[in-house]
Amino acid sequence: MARHVGKQKKEAVRTVGRKMTDTLMECTDLWKIYGKIIAVKDVSLKIREGEIKLVFGPSGSGKSTFLRCLAMLTTPTKGEVFLKGECLTRPGIDLNKARARIGFVFQHIWPFRHLTALGNVELGLRRVLKLSKKEAGEVAMQALREVKMEKWAHHYPGQLSGGQQQRVGIARALAMKPDIILLDEPTSALDPELTGEVIDTLRDLAKKGTTMLIVSHEMPFAREVAEEMIFFDEGTIIETGPPEQFFTNPKSERAKKFMARLIKRTKRE
Amino acid sequence: MGLPLAFIRVYGSKTFQILIDGYEKVFRGIPEMVIMLLFYFGIGYYVPHPFKNAFFTANFALGLRSAANQSQIFRGAIRGIGEEQMTVARSLGLSRLHSIIHVMIPQVFIFSTPGLGSEYALLVKDSAYAFFLPGITEIMEIANTIRKSTGDTATPFFAAAFIYILLTFPIATWLDTWGSRKKRQLGL
Repeated sequence: MARHVGKQKKEAVRTVGRKMTDTLMECTDLWKIYGKIIAVKDVSLKIREGEIKLVFGPSGSGKSTFLRCLAMLTTPTKGEVFLKGECLTRPGIDLNKARARIGFVFQHIWPFRHLTALGNVELGLRRVLKLSKKEAGEVAMQALREVKMEKWAHHYPGQLSGGQQQRVGIARALAMKPDIILLDEPTSALDPELTGEVIDTLRDLAKKGTTMLIVSHEMPFAREVAEEMIFFDEGTIIETGPPEQFFTNPKSERAKKFMARLIKRTKRE
Repeated sequence: MGLPLAFIRVYGSKTFQILIDGYEKVFRGIPEMVIMLLFYFGIGYYVPHPFKNAFFTANFALGLRSAANQSQIFRGAIRGIGEEQMTVARSLGLSRLHSIIHVMIPQVFIFSTPGLGSEYALLVKDSAYAFFLPGITEIMEIANTIRKSTGDTATPFFAAAFIYILLTFPIATWLDTWGSRKKRQLGL
């Protein structure tokens, strides 16, 4: 019974307030090549509005580069990226405008160290969305409230813990009201205790229907919120499927081995 | 001038990077006195206007050498801050110029102390070389004139040394203190 209730709760988190409709972001035949190194190899992916997809795979498999290509922080060598039907890889596009529509949360956080938590969140609102100081302050405060950081709004990053800094990082992306948020291993630089608070924040965002593509190895979290998991290795997608497929019976041998190691590690923790 | 040079050196095209690198190497490698004399007597011989104006040439030579030093100090700070700060700013949709203005420059000044204080002190001290240019009135020139007219060889130069300390010490110290306080406040 308890197990049944648990499952129902997980389903609730996965679906409450979420309405998946049209394709929000899409990439087709995406490649990123650095000299002789192929970092991303022929990747195609669709993300629907309100959907949460989780990318996982070994270190150095090109997950971060792939995410950066989607956010147009790195120009793909080949292939196309679409956001709400608009091609972001076509020549002449205003990349600053495109990037403002895609939230990005970095693994190593990288807060603006000379600005307070509030200043970090306000910067994009003021300089990109051109909000007035008062409006930007209000929106930024609301974003900090959503990640439960309003009490630390006037603290500098150096005065905050890693978990708090990452929550500011999430608020910084969230405040811009992006169409999608891409998160590149948002918890891997944090210790387990701090990981929990960031995961709680992401869980809240999931409940609100935020579209997210998350690179993460937090398996319990993945099982709880992701509609689809994507196993990435050697620069390309090896296998995709619902979390249950990966937890019970991954199809590819590589995913099977990787999942076994991940589950073992999760149990140890 | 050092600040834009440093940013162009880091983010500019390859051609600009090579040009600025060359400029830095040349002007940091020549003694200040030689630079002044070179512009006044050397280049001034061919281009009298404006290089035969001692006041202009002294300032120009000091500026050129100091900008080369400052550029290197700021460049060190830009590298210390890290490329990541630019990446995050760009990910929010800020243009490269806005990222430099709102994210990099405020941090560059903090990271540039105490080097900036030392450079300021060096600039003030090197202004003494203008003594060798004819028709310019600076501290050493005044001290020397007093020595000649009074016959007192010690006091005027002690006074000159004291004035240099007064000009350099408070500002250099203030810059250092400001930088340290800022770094402490930001937990850097």
